[in-house]
Amino acid sequence: MADLFFGGIDVGSLSTEAVIINSEEQVLAEVVLITGVNGSEAAQKALNQALELAELAQSQIAALTSTGYGRASVPFATGKTTEISCHGVGAHHLFPSTGTVIDVGGQDSKVIQIDDRGHMLDFSMNDKCAAGTGRFLEVMADRLELELDELSNPAYITGPSTPISSTCTVFAESEVISLLAKDTPREQIVNGLQRSIVNRIWSMVVSIGIHGEVTITGGVAKNQGLIKVLEEKLGQKLNVPKNPQTVGALGAALIAKRHHSDSTST
Amino acid sequence: MYPFDAIVYLQRDDHYKRSDLEQRAQIDAMSINDTKDKVLKIPDRSDYLRDQRRSGQEIMGVLPALYPRELLWAFNILPAEIWDPPGEILLANVHLQASICPIVKRGLEFILKSPEIINSGYLFPHTCDSLQNLGTQVKDLIGVPVPVYTFYNPKGEFNKASKRYYSEILFNLQKTLEKSHGLLSQNQLKAACELGHKIDIRRQMLHAALMEDRFDLSNREYFQLIRAAEYMQGQDYLDLLNHVEINEQIGVAPRARLLVTGILPPGDDILNFLDESRVRIVSEDLLSGSRRIPIVEMDQPDDPMEYLVERFFLLPPCSTKAGGLDKRLQYLKKLIAKSRCHGVLFNTVKFCEPELFDQHFLIKSMKVMGLPVLNLETELQPGLSGQEKTRIEAFLEMLDEGVPV
Repeated sequence: MADLFFGGIDVGSLSTEAVIINSEEQVLAEVVLITGVNGSEAAQKALNQALELAELAQSQIAALTSTGYGRASVPFATGKTTEISCHGVGAHHLFPSTGTVIDVGGQDSKVIQIDDRGHMLDFSMNDKCAAGTGRFLEVMADRLELELDELSNPAYITGPSTPISSTCTVFAESEVISLLAKDTPREQIVNGLQRSIVNRIWSMVVSIGIHGEVTITGGVAKNQGLIKVLEEKLGQKLNVPKNPQTVGALGAALIAKRHHSDSTST
Repeated sequence: MYPFDAIVYLQRDDHYKRSDLEQRAQIDAMSINDTKDKVLKIPDRSDYLRDQRRSGQEIMGVLPALYPRELLWAFNILPAEIWDPPGEILLANVHLQASICPIVKRGLEFILKSPEIINSGYLFPHTCDSLQNLGTQVKDLIGVPVPVYTFYNPKGEFNKASKRYYSEILFNLQKTLEKSHGLLSQNQLKAACELGHKIDIRRQMLHAALMEDRFDLSNREYFQLIRAAEYMQGQDYLDLLNHVEINEQIGVAPRARLLVTGILPPGDDILNFLDESRVRIVSEDLLSGSRRIPIVEMDQPDDPMEYLVERFFLLPPCSTKAGGLDKRLQYLKKLIAKSRCHGVLFNTVKFCEPELFDQHFLIKSMKVMGLPVLNLETELQPGLSGQEKTRIEAFLEMLDEGVPV
């Protein structure tokens, strides 16, 4: 019998990810693209690239789940699921002892509590402002004339930090401008910004509580400095996936496989 | 964990005298059977009030939430409650801090536009500090072309002194209204109380039917029906309530059963979305809804003033009465058990202090019971944002895993 393939597409506010897995749940391809203004086009483009990497045709995909804020605009999806469930399922697949998932995305952040099957038990979501999200880091990096990758440098968090009192992105930016005007070293400001984001994430973690191992997902998980500060704050090591940005799409692909199995077994 | 495992210890005493209610339902069904049709016609708020005004009706603008509607009816005043008038908030922002709740802001915006529909004055019950202050502000600082009345409900643990106090403020309001509307006869007040009594019984019955899935109304229709009490004449409203068919058979099991708590029901777009998602709100603990209906069936009014006092103290526990958190939790647990809900939706009006004081404890307690909770914050704006949709969908996905089939 021919092998079956499943897809997951996560259309986020800043980036779109596609993942293709086989029936053994092995990842065959994963792609990350900028979403741009048209989520539907970005989804198709991401899938095409993933299919090319996996050397498959779209017709070979047995089921595909879309997720992310643009999940409704993926016409070729066979199902849609929220990114909250998908990150839970994806994180559980990569780190089966995960009890808590912290997803820091481009425009929002969330903390998800999952059970030992990867099913969601509770969640907390910051979707009202950019504080504690990737966008916050982007704005600050721009103001400090740094590349995003440079913020990730752990050297920025070893020295003294300047507290940033505003969690609001707009006010925090004003605060950074004032600090720059007072010749505050850039390292200290970056250190303060990382701690500001971590404090915002931490407050959500506290509202849900920490259960089991903690896995961090989303693009911000690539920021090594932030991971270090968060680990200090939580008092435990974090599971950091190799490709934290694609965990949602991976979860979506796994859900597509489950739904396909359910529908064919009944 | 199935949510009810943790609450089997709850007392099973009936919230309502069910046998009486069912008997009444049958009598009502027989008496109105001929006139019923399947479509419930709920008059539009603005159209209804305009028609009332055109016919010469006196209309008083009443801010939320607990006030003696029967006393106003007895003076032939139609209370038009002001909870969440639509539109942009502009004028009110000049007078209020940014951290004041949207009910107060929208209320003031409405008043500042001096609507002609309100010709009998404004009544400000003491629901919270913000509304109490708003009453003072409108009366003493802003000024409006109609009289402004205040009605300061008792707060805290109730005792004999609270009842005495409530009797006094009722009497004072009556005397104040008599100055402009003439003496009130006992018979007028008694008739109004009898009407209110009938409405209460019907509302209790409908809430019981809601918990038992014996309705064909959608979530949106149900809350439109409940909210029609905010502007309709008592008799018209009773006729409307009597028009609602209560099924003998239990309806099709929904995808999930929710209890909603808060000040106001979720907006129409959220209710529509829940309807589309086959989710049923099976019980409500809303200040604009069941928190204004006595928790037991009261006897027929004999002495109307005594009846009104008694009625106030038989209303369910409420954050705005500051009567103790534990009582409120116990009451909610009973609703949860009776309605067999799978989760609780907190529909939170932004900056609503009384609700926010209680909320943390209630949410924490429900999570300990194993009951999933969704907290949606609203500024009473129309629409359903992508973020709200994601939260609701994620909550439903969470319930899907735990909903017993």
